Amino acid sequence: MNILKPDKRMQIESLRRYYISLRCCLAQRNIMIVKLVIVLLVGAHLQAAANPLRFRNLKLADRKMSPIISNGMEGHSAIQTTDKNSRYAGEPTSTIQNIQVTGLVADSTGVPLPGVTIYVKANKSIGTATDENGRYILDVPDNAVLVFSMVSFESREIPVNGRKVINITLRPATTRLDETVVTAFETHQKKSDMVGSVTSISAEDLAKNPSSNLTTALAGRAAGLIAFQRSGEPGQDNANFFIRGVTTFGYKTDPLILIDGVELSATDLARIQPDDIANFSILKDATATAVYGARGANGVILVTTKEGAVGKAKLSFRIENSISEPTRNVKIADPVTYMKMYNEAIVTRDASASPLYDEDRIANTASGANPIAYPANDWQKLLFKNYTTTKRVNLNVSGGGGVARYFISGSYDRDNGLLKVDHRNNFNNNISLNSYTLRTNLNVNVTKTTQLNARLSGNFDDYTGPISGGAEMYNEIMHSNPILFPAYFPTDSAHQFVNHILFGNSLDRSGSGVGYSNPYADMVKGYKNYSRSLMQAQLELKQDFSFVTEGLSARVMGYTYRQSYFDVIRSYDPYYYQLAGYDKMTKAYTLTPLNEDLGTEYLSYQQSRPVVSSSFYLEAMASYNRIFKEKHGISGMVIYQMKGSQSSADGDLQQSLPFRNLGVSGRLTYNYDKRYYAEFDFGYNGSERFAANHRYGFFPSYGLAWTISNEKFFKSLKSVVTNLRLRTTYGLIGNDAIGSADDRFFYISNVKMNDPDKKATFGGTTGSTYSLDGITVTRYANSDITWETSREKNLALDIGLFEDLTITAEFYSQYRDHILMTRTVPLTMGLSAPSRANVGAATGRGTDISLNYSKYFHNGFWFQAMGNFTYATSEYKVFEEPHYDEPYRYHVGHSLSQTYGYIAERLFVDDKDVENSPLQNFGEYGAGDVKYLDVNHDGEITDADAVPIGNPTTPEIVYGFGFSVGYKSFDMSAFFQGLANESFWINTQPYSSENTGSTVPFVSDGEVLKAYADSYWSEDNRNINALWPRLSASGNKNDNQISTWFMRDGSFLRLKQVEIGYSLPKRIQQKLHATSLRIYANASNLFTISKFKLWDVEMGGNGLGYPIQRVFNIGLNMDIH
Amino acid sequence: MATSCKKYLDIVPDDVATLDNAFSTRAEAKKYLFTCYSYMPKNGNIDDDPAMQGGDEIWRILYRRNGYTDMARGLQTKVGPIGEKWTILYKALRDCYIFLDNIDRVPDMETTEKRQWIGEVKFLIAYYHFYLVRMYGPIPLIKHSLPIDASPEEVQVSRDPVDSCFNFIVHEIDEAIPDLPLMSYDPVQEAGRITQVVAYAMKAQILVYAASPLFNGNTDEAGLKGPDGTQLFDQTVSKAKWDSAASASLKAIEICQSAGLKLYDYRDQNGSNYNQFHLSDTIVTQLTIRNAFCEKWNSGIIWANTQAFSSVQGIALPMMDVARPENHVPRGEMSPPLKIAEMFYTQHGVPIDEDKTWNYNGRDNLRTADSTYALYIHRNYTTAALNFDREPRFYADMGFDGSVWYGQGLYDDSHPSDLFYVQAKFGQIDALQFDRGSITGYFIKKFIHFENVVEAGASYATHDYPWPIMRLSGLYLLYAEALNESQGPGPEVYQYLNLVRQAAGLQSVESSWDAYSINPSEYKTQKGLRDIIHQERMIELAFEGQRFWDLRRWKEAARMMNAPIRGWDGQQKNAEDYYRPVTIFNQTFGTKDYFWPINDKEITANKKLVQNLGW
Repeated sequence: MNILKPDKRMQIESLRRYYISLRCCLAQRNIMIVKLVIVLLVGAHLQAAANPLRFRNLKLADRKMSPIISNGMEGHSAIQTTDKNSRYAGEPTSTIQNIQVTGLVADSTGVPLPGVTIYVKANKSIGTATDENGRYILDVPDNAVLVFSMVSFESREIPVNGRKVINITLRPATTRLDETVVTAFETHQKKSDMVGSVTSISAEDLAKNPSSNLTTALAGRAAGLIAFQRSGEPGQDNANFFIRGVTTFGYKTDPLILIDGVELSATDLARIQPDDIANFSILKDATATAVYGARGANGVILVTTKEGAVGKAKLSFRIENSISEPTRNVKIADPVTYMKMYNEAIVTRDASASPLYDEDRIANTASGANPIAYPANDWQKLLFKNYTTTKRVNLNVSGGGGVARYFISGSYDRDNGLLKVDHRNNFNNNISLNSYTLRTNLNVNVTKTTQLNARLSGNFDDYTGPISGGAEMYNEIMHSNPILFPAYFPTDSAHQFVNHILFGNSLDRSGSGVGYSNPYADMVKGYKNYSRSLMQAQLELKQDFSFVTEGLSARVMGYTYRQSYFDVIRSYDPYYYQLAGYDKMTKAYTLTPLNEDLGTEYLSYQQSRPVVSSSFYLEAMASYNRIFKEKHGISGMVIYQMKGSQSSADGDLQQSLPFRNLGVSGRLTYNYDKRYYAEFDFGYNGSERFAANHRYGFFPSYGLAWTISNEKFFKSLKSVVTNLRLRTTYGLIGNDAIGSADDRFFYISNVKMNDPDKKATFGGTTGSTYSLDGITVTRYANSDITWETSREKNLALDIGLFEDLTITAEFYSQYRDHILMTRTVPLTMGLSAPSRANVGAATGRGTDISLNYSKYFHNGFWFQAMGNFTYATSEYKVFEEPHYDEPYRYHVGHSLSQTYGYIAERLFVDDKDVENSPLQNFGEYGAGDVKYLDVNHDGEITDADAVPIGNPTTPEIVYGFGFSVGYKSFDMSAFFQGLANESFWINTQPYSSENTGSTVPFVSDGEVLKAYADSYWSEDNRNINALWPRLSASGNKNDNQISTWFMRDGSFLRLKQVEIGYSLPKRIQQKLHATSLRIYANASNLFTISKFKLWDVEMGGNGLGYPIQRVFNIGLNMDIH
Repeated sequence: MATSCKKYLDIVPDDVATLDNAFSTRAEAKKYLFTCYSYMPKNGNIDDDPAMQGGDEIWRILYRRNGYTDMARGLQTKVGPIGEKWTILYKALRDCYIFLDNIDRVPDMETTEKRQWIGEVKFLIAYYHFYLVRMYGPIPLIKHSLPIDASPEEVQVSRDPVDSCFNFIVHEIDEAIPDLPLMSYDPVQEAGRITQVVAYAMKAQILVYAASPLFNGNTDEAGLKGPDGTQLFDQTVSKAKWDSAASASLKAIEICQSAGLKLYDYRDQNGSNYNQFHLSDTIVTQLTIRNAFCEKWNSGIIWANTQAFSSVQGIALPMMDVARPENHVPRGEMSPPLKIAEMFYTQHGVPIDEDKTWNYNGRDNLRTADSTYALYIHRNYTTAALNFDREPRFYADMGFDGSVWYGQGLYDDSHPSDLFYVQAKFGQIDALQFDRGSITGYFIKKFIHFENVVEAGASYATHDYPWPIMRLSGLYLLYAEALNESQGPGPEVYQYLNLVRQAAGLQSVESSWDAYSINPSEYKTQKGLRDIIHQERMIELAFEGQRFWDLRRWKEAARMMNAPIRGWDGQQKNAEDYYRPVTIFNQTFGTKDYFWPINDKEITANKKLVQNLGW
């Protein structure tokens, strides 16, 4: 049957193995193997490869293709076959008697497995792979031990013992020991070889989150990631995420995000389609991030997208439809209660003042006598729908031939907001975010050893929504008078010929004309369009230099991208009317126009300054990777990087100058016998922000690992403890993103040469006056300011038990010093800008633990569970502050996001209680106001009584756990997520344009939260533990101090996501020419366990904003080959 | 590659703006001069000037509370001091010294101009220090600018004794004077800049402050000592301080005269407006009083703050025009309490409780105005007896329920009933409401230029004027006060007092007291004359932002401001009910309230700084 010489034959067998593994890998979406196979196949005739039956007749043209194989396989573990040493050192096969073994390989449910690699353990060059029906034929020495392996399945070793038929089942891999992760510069490393700290999230898990925003899926998915979401507004719903918490007081606390090596923003990450993701890794410790230099100081999130695989075009399609609703709506007191409480608020503070709403009005509003004369608006109902819908479609096509491979994906997401639309307008003012992504990844084999990759992608957001945004509408309904006027008047006979809506309003209290906010008018009066786009082009050239020396390769990569944003607001000026001459008997009324001169029936137009930015990046890398004498694994790489960016959104000249980084970094690793590992990394980085003598920093790191389970003495334990590994790293990382983003060039002063705040005016005895703007120093030069440095330690333990359970536990600490901070300088110095120096220091400490459990049963039932836990604390170590008399005032020793405030004891009982208590220095107060604790016993409440209160505002603990079960075609998964050790404060700060989320009633027409109406101190009901203190129409400074009174526990546990899926039977799939067809339904945020009930607890102090959504989603996923 | 790498990061061009650029040309340096001026506290601004609503002279409805109304209500605190100027004025001082340190480098300037600018900035250094001393008492003097990298020991400055403060301030003014022009020779562009007139007059005022009881041997402050035990207030009263105050005041008056200043008189205006109506003497006197304050750059203005144009006209003006109820720009909210209404003299120029002919005890009784009062009170209108038979300044400076309000578009006074008048009882157009109107029933007319017109819609056409910091009549009264303290009663004291009274349409102090006072010899004693001068000053400069500071420097605040703020009962519809005085607020004033507290944070940041007593 075999017409080729043995070695040729073996070559072909191995080729065939690869090819088949390609097929199965496509099914498994493990693109890196695909890559490998494709590279291999470049050397072969690809027409043949397309048809496995013809494969055996293939004549191999050239065996020099092996370098390409090794290139494609660098660092890859699934199949180790191309080691020349082993190949040629192996026993000559001809001396042994061969027998032909045939058999069937199936999975634990009995389904045949195509593409399982089978080779002889002692001679990897003898091998094959199962065909489409899971069958194989292989001539082997009769004493051979066969290794059956396939990605995602456990390898099995079966001695032939002369048998001619060997049927086996493979169990799905559980320990994931052989899994690779993508580390810095897209190097694939086996988990079992890792020294640094890298976690990955599977794209499938990310895809389970029914949201068009990828960042919302991150919380609880990976150990070491602190993530939480504060808003549910489409386009504004990015989760905040930090790797191992926040340990700097500089401005940049979020991680570096690299998508295919391109540094992008959180919003760009949010728009990535899970279906396009090949790998998602999180780099946490010093050695893992070192090679990124200054850019990686807060950790790195690394995403690589899929690439095409050789073969027929493969089409993959996903469509999802969701319904979403707020997890919880804030409840507001009814209008009658509002009026009564308003009157009480005036009179309770000033007995001589007259109430605002007379009894007559209250009674008529309560009876609902006439909703036009006595309106009672539930703005929430008037403005918002109960639920909205979302659509997501993703389509990708991949494939390729000998010269080139492609992966093209396109997706379309449409997220709608919850706002109502007034159909009298002919435009849509609801939020509608249309996001389109197009991605093309192209790999071209220029020569046998040269690969050229081109990636082009674009992401486009087209948004329509209310002028000031959805969150602002939510805030506005909380600050609009519910009873003063209706949202609009029905068109009466006097106005039957006008074309506009007769919006309600009233004369302003503090001037004339229209002064109230009518949120309905503000919502429907116009809309905002914005367009955001990101276009990127990336070119990468890989050259294998194995012909120079084995294991040497080089890579040059460059990219550029352009981001643009512009928005346009189109709106009319609403015509407002006020009720006049209302006759109670006939209910007749007339309407007085309030702004005849200003209202318009046509749209006007307003445009913000467009923001355009460009980025440029270039990296050159040489790497070397080789194993000597089977035991000495050596790898090294050197990378040169340069980066520049520029943006049109400049505040001043210094802002307009390009942002640049430059650096050289490198990595050197050595392992001995897969037991002892050592790694050394460094980054040598330059930043334009510092004076020439401080511009460059050298940041080395090293790591050691020991795979105990590979030691001889461990053999007896290995059936129980399949893997035991200890790792530790230590390193220095620099950060130049210090101070604030606007603050650059610390070594030169900055002067605002025309500052209108320093304007002076003279003259004007006749005619106009004479003015000149003044000059302000906005930064004092300090040429000593330099890198913030972080010393990071990591200790990790990997344990694998019974092949079912893997545990990774990591313990880390960071010590950051040279943190830039503002010095304490008395005001008598008269500085107009802060004086700063690198004097601060802080530590971060924490633990990341992850657990994975998988169990497959022969009856077709499988079960997987995962859990992970992140604990990240921070602490001030050096913080320049005044010498306090009270030790508790010092920040040192406390978390970086520790809040300081007063300890609220209770509300004052009466004025006598006030007299007998320490003086409180915040403004007028009396019975029913918050009583604070005099911590230092000096008889008054001052700054010195503010103590650290509550937990940090950034959660210290984030965890997630979930499980997936499957039985034949059905699968189901659930994922819980929670966080703990977080405090937040109900927003009781006075309303302002910066603080529109204030919950204070009456101030700026603040509505009354129902919770406040249900529990507040009043003269009749002197509840000293009431939720809200004594009412005030103008706000009370004493009560709105940051204190424990409004502190709440931010911890929660929620059912983040649950999914049920069903794969349609094969015959249906075949009818549709599909290779896989699965329908599923999933939901997010079904319930939350928390003590806090006013709004979704995850929103923290931002509770009046756009609520976080609960989503119900159905979807369909289909692959066609 | 190494050099190209270096260049790659060297992206800052050489000509990025730094402090050097601020003094590279005269034009840029002039901007820095203006920067030094830009810090001037905005007199008359309700959010920047504590003297407006922070004392007992002007009250507001609670709805309009701001920092200073809270201060008036006794809510001052060291945790977040209300209306503190510590931060901004020390910044101002740093900029002034940056100017002085660099002005020599400007290449294209003539020496005389440079010296003039230096003189102006030196004066500002003195003025900013003075403002701080007035608020805080002894302060750390800034005699030069500390470098940005000064050591923590250097930046921790301590408070200098009061006398050193005044000496330094006067020294700076003395240094500045020779380089300043006598008066502004380019008033179209430069009016408001510092001149010798300003410098001499302010020096006089500063020396009067230094001689006044608050700073001259104030034994209440005996306990205020520096960290090394230095007494910050000299404990002995020095009469010499009054001597130098008197001579400085006289010098200032002479300088003013040489610059052509004289007390404003409506009749002096070339081709007086509205001559065609043959205005009555009553109205002309009222306009003389009103315009002396709000006619910009009139002949009696010594220094007006061009950084603070009148911003209170709309807030003070009542609506009055029943034909335009929709125009809510007039707010009528600045409310003088009853005690201010009672402070003004009777028509005979003596206090209401001293006038033999005036029924003091019956002042709350109702009385209906007949036609003899037609230019003061709307004919047949019933109002309190308190509002009858008062001096011209009472009617020129204030409005009240029933009072005639000349101007605002109606200039013919021959039919007084057609002029605007105030109606402030409940339900009337100027009634007290939740969010507008006078809480006391009195309104301030002095702020409002008589030619301002309330128009239809939401429009209000105003004549804006820079807020007068010092008027000639104020300087005359300073001289009278200092002379009386230094030499006792005498003709020269009476002379300057009478100049002011004469402009206000009153008889001389001698003849008024002789003829009408139950205490006719009061003006002949130093103590009696002191009281007369004080009251004259409070009346003449009413609402101008002086009483707040004067009560403090005289140490009379504890007496005057421990009294209830009272007004008419704005909730009432009928005159019988309306004209019952109600207490609006029980104001208190303690010794500690004479000075601002220094922010606790500053005390924490600088251990050498001692807090003011009582805080």
